[in-house]
Amino acid sequence: MTMFEKLQQTIGATLKVPAERITATTRDQDLPSWDSLGQVNLIMALEQEFGVTIEVEDFGSLNSVPAILQYLGKNGIA
Amino acid sequence: MTDLDKLLATDSLAKLRAELSAGRPVAGPAQAQRLAAHARSLGATAPPLRVAFVHTYTSDLLDPWMDLAGAVQSMAVQCHHAPYGLALQEAAPDSALVRFEPHVTVLLLQREDLHPALSRPITGLEADEQAALRGQALSRLQEIVSRFRAQKVGHLVLSLLPRVAGPTLGLFDAHAAASEAAWWAGFKSELSAWLRASVPSSLLLDLDEVLARVGHAGFFDRRFWYSARFPFASEAAREVARRIVAVGTVLRTPRAKVLVLDADNTLWGGIVGEDGIEGIRLGPDYPGNLYLEFQRRLLDFQQRGLVLAMCSKNNPGDVDHVLKEHPHMLVREEHFAARRVNWTSKPENIRSLAEELNLGLDSFVFVDDSDHECAAVRHALPQVEVVQVPSRAIDVPHCLDQVARLEVLSLTREDLAKTQMYAQERQRRELLDSASGAGAAAGDYLARLGMKMSVRIDSAAQVPRLAQLTQKTNQFNLTTRRYDEQQIHGFIADERWLVADFSLADVFGDSGLVGLAMFRLPGDGVAELDTFLMSCRVIGREAEGAFLHTLLRRLAAAGVHEVRAWYLPTAKNMLVKDFLPSQGFEPLGDGQYRRDLRSHPPRDESEFPIAIDVAQPARQPVPA
Repeated sequence: MTMFEKLQQTIGATLKVPAERITATTRDQDLPSWDSLGQVNLIMALEQEFGVTIEVEDFGSLNSVPAILQYLGKNGIA
Repeated sequence: MTDLDKLLATDSLAKLRAELSAGRPVAGPAQAQRLAAHARSLGATAPPLRVAFVHTYTSDLLDPWMDLAGAVQSMAVQCHHAPYGLALQEAAPDSALVRFEPHVTVLLLQREDLHPALSRPITGLEADEQAALRGQALSRLQEIVSRFRAQKVGHLVLSLLPRVAGPTLGLFDAHAAASEAAWWAGFKSELSAWLRASVPSSLLLDLDEVLARVGHAGFFDRRFWYSARFPFASEAAREVARRIVAVGTVLRTPRAKVLVLDADNTLWGGIVGEDGIEGIRLGPDYPGNLYLEFQRRLLDFQQRGLVLAMCSKNNPGDVDHVLKEHPHMLVREEHFAARRVNWTSKPENIRSLAEELNLGLDSFVFVDDSDHECAAVRHALPQVEVVQVPSRAIDVPHCLDQVARLEVLSLTREDLAKTQMYAQERQRRELLDSASGAGAAAGDYLARLGMKMSVRIDSAAQVPRLAQLTQKTNQFNLTTRRYDEQQIHGFIADERWLVADFSLADVFGDSGLVGLAMFRLPGDGVAELDTFLMSCRVIGREAEGAFLHTLLRRLAAAGVHEVRAWYLPTAKNMLVKDFLPSQGFEPLGDGQYRRDLRSHPPRDESEFPIAIDVAQPARQPVPA
């Protein structure tokens, strides 16, 4: 499974949307369930699925697929 | 294998529960969700449990944890979250919350919701100012709680979030006269006293205790608290959800009343039949101290009103020897309401325990270390909850801590005395056995009990118990009329009624208030027996006759010459079908009876094996 596929599944399961709907450019505004509560849920899910601890300063910026992929890459998750 | 993999590999709910209570962590809500799905795949049909939240901090993020806690207890949890904030508008007959028909409503409040002064330090206040603040905060909270209690919101669970920061005065706080921690402790105890006295179906859910259990780092995740107003780290979220679901489990499943305990590798380490009394592990050192700790825990459960019973495949002499002689046994003979130490199958023994204790099998929890015995009981008696004692001694002391049905939501004095009463009953049976073994008559046995009956006439001292007796007594009950406290207060105050109750004590102990009779006195020398009932606990000791004739003598002395009585049959009171004729009442048909006190004077006290004392207080006015 590629990083993108794993992220697709994580976002899909957390925000309760089919994984196929998550594309390389999906961002918070594209999904009604990606609201502020969805964002907190997603942060918690990313921490578990990718084994990272995300600092509170980064919570707000992880609001799109490209931003999350870039963050994971920068933190050595591949 | 990761922790999650181990949890997902469990093949029964019981094993999953055991793994979770042994402390295997669940990392976050996504894992909780996967685990909940796994638990559901293992579980049987799940009754719904509707939980409503009124919250002044984010509560939606508890949902996956509620889902997990429910799935583990075979409950289908549905959550309803009121709008964020102190949503008092939800305490109204048509609110979304009331229409949700919750079984449990949880108030997740913060300290500063109770008074604006609580968002600032309180240690600078003088003692009287601190006391005044406590009074104001309490009355604010009383107002909130009362408004929800006035609606149909199910069991009301109240919680106050601890402060993220430590106490104002730091390490000096507990030492200081103005201690913040002491202020809160005092507040909590005043609050719980008020809840106990004035708010039925309520519970103070102590988050300070959760904090102590999981530790500060396991309780607060400061990142989510400050960025999203959600205080709980995974461990705390799981524990808070588990406790809320436990409340629902106690409400929605048959009450657990009996803990049936194996002996070898449960009460002590090792096998007494092989290792001998000196060889079993039980005492101050490892690993015996783990079993000692477990025994201490069992005594804790007894304090919750559960009775302990033993079911062990052993030579009775070996187990007796340990119970009587082992220097470190905490749980002793007197703590067991009943015992089965033999080589009969455990399901059969549990059935016979149920018969002896007169309790349904669905009130039994069976605790045993053996795979085989656990499986046999699960198979033969699916109503019995089975908890397997962990194979590692280190996991033993806490193996019952997360069994939700062992929690209680209220406690009466009777609950606490239960084991004692069963133990006394057993001693009486043993005396009866020895008396009949020696060829003596039953009367001899009764005489040896040294019974003393205290009859109270028109006494309002124990009205709640009298009402409870009319509501709960089904078997020894002539008319099965149910009354509430207010009605009974009315009868006691009314001169046209005679209300009498009795307590019974003997050489083995006090059975408490166990009988009630209520006569209507319409005048013209007539008395009508409206109610005559007795707890099954004291059947077979001639107490019913001694009580009835004591009252008949009083009535006769007061000029009554005719007593009318009724037997109203129900599905459950066959036991007293022949009671009235056996007491010299003549049948008039249609369940009605009479006794002429002039031609048939009541029997004398000396004809009964019971010493009788009668007390009659002055009549008291009916409370408003």
